Amino acid sequence: MKLKTSYLSAAVIAAVVIAFPAFLGAYPLNVARSVMTYMALAISWDMLLRSGQISFGIAGLFGLGSYASAIAVMRGGMDPFLSILFAAAFAGVMAFALGFAILRLRAMYFSITTLALMEIFRIVMHNLHDFSGGPEGIVLSAPIFGGNSTALYWLCLAGLFITIGVSWYFEKSKMHLALTAIRNDETSARSNGVDIFRYLLVAFVITSIIQGMMGAIQIQSYGFTTPETAFDANFTLLPLAMALLGGIHSTIGPMAGAVLLGVASEWLKLKIPYGHLMVYGIIIILVILFMPQGLVGLARRMLRGSDKSGRKAGASHE
Amino acid sequence: MSKLVTSGLTKAFSGLVAVNNVSFAMEEGEILGIIGPNGAGKTTFIHLVSGILMPTSGTVAFKGKDITYAPAHMRSRMGIARTYQLIHPLENLKVIENVMVGAVFSKDKSLREARRTAEEICAELELDRLERDTTQLSIFEIKKMEIARALANEPEVLFLDEVMAGLNSDETKGMIATVQRIATERKLAVGVVEHVMGVIRELTQRVIVLEAGELIAEGPYETVSKNPRVIEAYLGGAA
Repeated sequence: MKLKTSYLSAAVIAAVVIAFPAFLGAYPLNVARSVMTYMALAISWDMLLRSGQISFGIAGLFGLGSYASAIAVMRGGMDPFLSILFAAAFAGVMAFALGFAILRLRAMYFSITTLALMEIFRIVMHNLHDFSGGPEGIVLSAPIFGGNSTALYWLCLAGLFITIGVSWYFEKSKMHLALTAIRNDETSARSNGVDIFRYLLVAFVITSIIQGMMGAIQIQSYGFTTPETAFDANFTLLPLAMALLGGIHSTIGPMAGAVLLGVASEWLKLKIPYGHLMVYGIIIILVILFMPQGLVGLARRMLRGSDKSGRKAGASHE
Repeated sequence: MSKLVTSGLTKAFSGLVAVNNVSFAMEEGEILGIIGPNGAGKTTFIHLVSGILMPTSGTVAFKGKDITYAPAHMRSRMGIARTYQLIHPLENLKVIENVMVGAVFSKDKSLREARRTAEEICAELELDRLERDTTQLSIFEIKKMEIARALANEPEVLFLDEVMAGLNSDETKGMIATVQRIATERKLAVGVVEHVMGVIRELTQRVIVLEAGELIAEGPYETVSKNPRVIEAYLGGAA
């Protein structure tokens, strides 16, 4: 009964979101695309985080996807839409190869390595003048779908829907037990048949495919990119801040955080150009200090508290 | 054929030899006590057999197959399960999900099948209200949950590392009966580490005694407890 209601409301929201182009102009659709891109990245970051691994490499795989797609179109004459699938697969293959090395690392060693990888990708693209266009970047002959804002919106939305679907599957399948077990206690996981490396590799490859795909969608929508835009640290920091604000270890948390922070960031960019970065920093610090479960955690606690006179809520504080 | 055989099993941590040349065998349906003073290497020994640590030398064989260097998750899939001296609950999973993990990953069961298996095992161990968070459980309940999780792996060999520690006398009595029942019903080979000798006497058919990593005695508890080397190990050298 309760499940049916939530499915129903999800379907209604999806229908409304799909219909946005009918009553929104080009600028709001553009903002929506930006929010959706960050949302997909935030969800993908959280999906790996459910195993306890904190990646700072989102921008790296996002940029890699951008460049794979752009170069495939420019140098290989690939169909732009096909190049998005190609870029996603390319990011997945790269993650698979890298995973064998870096998924043996844990905690901050893993984080720092992913951060370094992101920089390496950027520097390589920056310096391969003949192949990638170097610091000037790449300009495609035209954006995908002739730059039609409705079509671009739907393309981005499709990427987001895929991401939400996969994340939902992660929550409802064996992946949930595997990743949570790995996060909570690797020794216990191993003694109960969990092949830790295999599940980490699957999660890392899938989240990298999502990040590469969103990068490809981004470059094909704008028609140009540079190393500094494609590998912009914002693509790491903002999704991270969104997931933390909304509430980690869930699909709904990063979504809520992305809507709030995404819309706020558009407004902040107008009010205090560049100053918005400081605001993200402050939000991250405040959330970690005072609201580690994020907005979704807060809402859950309040709901539970009003439900059962605080007994359960009290216990969950322990 | 013995279920589990170790031969010359040795583990050295740089200078310290924690387990030294231990050879033993475990048979189907027997409850074996593993005793020895603190720091004798009992837990390290179980780590080696369950694949949490890899030995420096020696071999481990399960049902005649060499598994000396098999990773831990492969061993739990083959049929070697264990609990830990220090509790290891998965705190972001509910009680039922904790138990399901064993069935899902060691026996490749679907979530639905695993849930049914987990419910049956928990009922058998008298563990109820399975939708609770593990933070709401008493130590007795956590220990039962961890045994249930080990059993969900459907093992043939089960190691229980100090499951009685921290329990009151009624709970200990209940736990002894439970361990005896699961060992008989499932034809398990059970290895039990305990410090309370009353428990060992009541529960086990045979004990091995470790001291400073070496196996110094083996046999029924009544015999072993009169062995001068064992008494010396527990009371300290007279000389």
